[in-house]
Amino acid sequence: MKRLRLLDVSLASVSFLVYLALYLPILLVFVLSFFSMRRGRVRWDTFSFEWYARLFSNESLGEALLNSIIVGITAIIAATVIATLAALHVNARPSSRSARMLEYVIFLPFLLPPIITGLSLLIYFREIGVSRGLATIIVGHAVFVLAIIYRIILTRLNSLSRSLVEAAQDLGASRLQTFRFIILPNLRMPLLTAGILAFALSFDETMITLFLAGTDGTLPVRLYAMMRVGFTPEINALITLILGFSIVLTVVFAFAWRRSGGIDNNRITRI
Amino acid sequence: MANHETGGLAPNQDLPLLRIRGLGVRFGTFNAINPLDLDVRDGEFLTILGPSGSGKTTLLRAIAGFQTPSEGGIEFDGRDIAEMPINRRPFNTVFQDYALFPHMTVRENVSFGLRVRGTGRKRLNDRVDSALGIVGLEELGARYPSQLSGGQQQRTALARAMICEPRMILLDEPLAALDAALRRQMQNFLKSVQRQSGITFLFVTHDQSEATTMSDRICVMRSGSIEQIGTPRDLYYRPKSKFVASFFGASNIIEPCEIIDVRNDVTSVRTPVGTFAVAGPAPEGGSGLALAVRPEAFGIGNGKPANQIELTVVSVSFIGSETITELKHRNTSLEFKMKARSDPAAIPPAPGSVLTVGFDPAECALVSGDTG
Repeated sequence: MKRLRLLDVSLASVSFLVYLALYLPILLVFVLSFFSMRRGRVRWDTFSFEWYARLFSNESLGEALLNSIIVGITAIIAATVIATLAALHVNARPSSRSARMLEYVIFLPFLLPPIITGLSLLIYFREIGVSRGLATIIVGHAVFVLAIIYRIILTRLNSLSRSLVEAAQDLGASRLQTFRFIILPNLRMPLLTAGILAFALSFDETMITLFLAGTDGTLPVRLYAMMRVGFTPEINALITLILGFSIVLTVVFAFAWRRSGGIDNNRITRI
Repeated sequence: MANHETGGLAPNQDLPLLRIRGLGVRFGTFNAINPLDLDVRDGEFLTILGPSGSGKTTLLRAIAGFQTPSEGGIEFDGRDIAEMPINRRPFNTVFQDYALFPHMTVRENVSFGLRVRGTGRKRLNDRVDSALGIVGLEELGARYPSQLSGGQQQRTALARAMICEPRMILLDEPLAALDAALRRQMQNFLKSVQRQSGITFLFVTHDQSEATTMSDRICVMRSGSIEQIGTPRDLYYRPKSKFVASFFGASNIIEPCEIIDVRNDVTSVRTPVGTFAVAGPAPEGGSGLALAVRPEAFGIGNGKPANQIELTVVSVSFIGSETITELKHRNTSLEFKMKARSDPAAIPPAPGSVLTVGFDPAECALVSGDTG
């Protein structure tokens, strides 16, 4: 009994240390976005929104953030359309040769080291005479997130009973109507999941972007460039904002998941 | 005597509603369905019955269009539909797992067939109301499938299949997932819906009693081929093969069996346990024959003087209205079962005692053996 309690205590302290290691740096950044620091000590009397104000007046960071958002959203839309079409094909004819080919083709860029993907795309774009810019970054990100979106959609499609599609066709629905009325409504949650996940991946993708960026860089590339001249404290404000945004997104997502996912699971397993 | 080919029904002058000729389905080198012919008449309740792996579901899927046949033709109402896309075929299906759309209410599920055809709102609502009325789900239109019981899901699936007023509905083991009491109830319900609507039902099941209670005719399948088609009575009393005889109730099979005489519509056969008379002509292809006798055809003192055997009692089980006696033949150790109405005055025979039991020549059938 006593030994058990000792075990519990040591386990709890290890967990505490792990959480500390994970979250202390983040906490520090959060604190430093509002306060200034001198000689390793936080000066609690310096609370201000100064760094936030400076962040919003820093055009190069703002532009980089905007670029990241544009790239993320555009790449996800493009990748989602391609991934959905590919997943529909593989789901319909899983054992066909084209389906097996697709699996490899889609997964390769995800498994390859980003440096290879980035370099290959760079050489390719130069050979066909496309200059580097947002468009090339979008293509790179779309290639990179394609696999993850594809996988999530395919998993959901495979879990849908085949007889649902057969029933729709049996009742007179064309292929398009079957997709619109039966498949798409059942893909809502996975599409949302895939979109958020892919956006997160795209948002901090650095290696491929480095090769494909022209003068317009995304946020990680911009930050990487700033490292050489040293960070200014508005970085803390930026990180805090991104963190806050992520937390809100996670909560909203978890809520949506529980609401629709809960009912979803129930329906699928009972039928 | 009942006509074997038409199954005892008056021959239908009209063309069959569904006409299948030489239809075969192959998966690689495996013949799921050997080329077969089948006619389904307008307005009948036809059941395709067979054990799992007999090809019954594959046959239904080929008719529905989910499975492309390797060969043969399917005609519906005189039109060739073998190449017709699923969504154009003029009949609907009730699936084994019901396949209700989980994200739609009962009403939306039922109206789906009309919606994809662009039916107007007023007409659509009227039709859905009437279909929900037929299946008794008027009150549950706003529920989701996950909020329904198994029986209610089944009714929803039926209403959805009936909404476009098809002339035929295909049903793929729709009662398999229900418990015994509910299944009995749904059997009566399906039968009454079929009778009132006049829609042709093509029903697939592996349950012999289900097929017997509901069907006008039964098509027994085995290893991808049709073993026999006929009315339930036909299959029960005039099975053509050992397989059908034992599938429909536990028959006593006596084999091998050799025809020694045919006279005045009575066939005499010689078996290891004696010589018996069988009513009716001998079947074609006289080899590999067996004699099938229903347990309830056996009786003490029955079949005098021709069809009698001396058997030793092994055990007697009283199961209420009936008493089942297990018997054994002394020399061949062939086993027999006798089923009789329980008689409150009778003293059950002791195990080991010898009984003389017999059967009427009209209550047995000559059937082909396994190879037939």
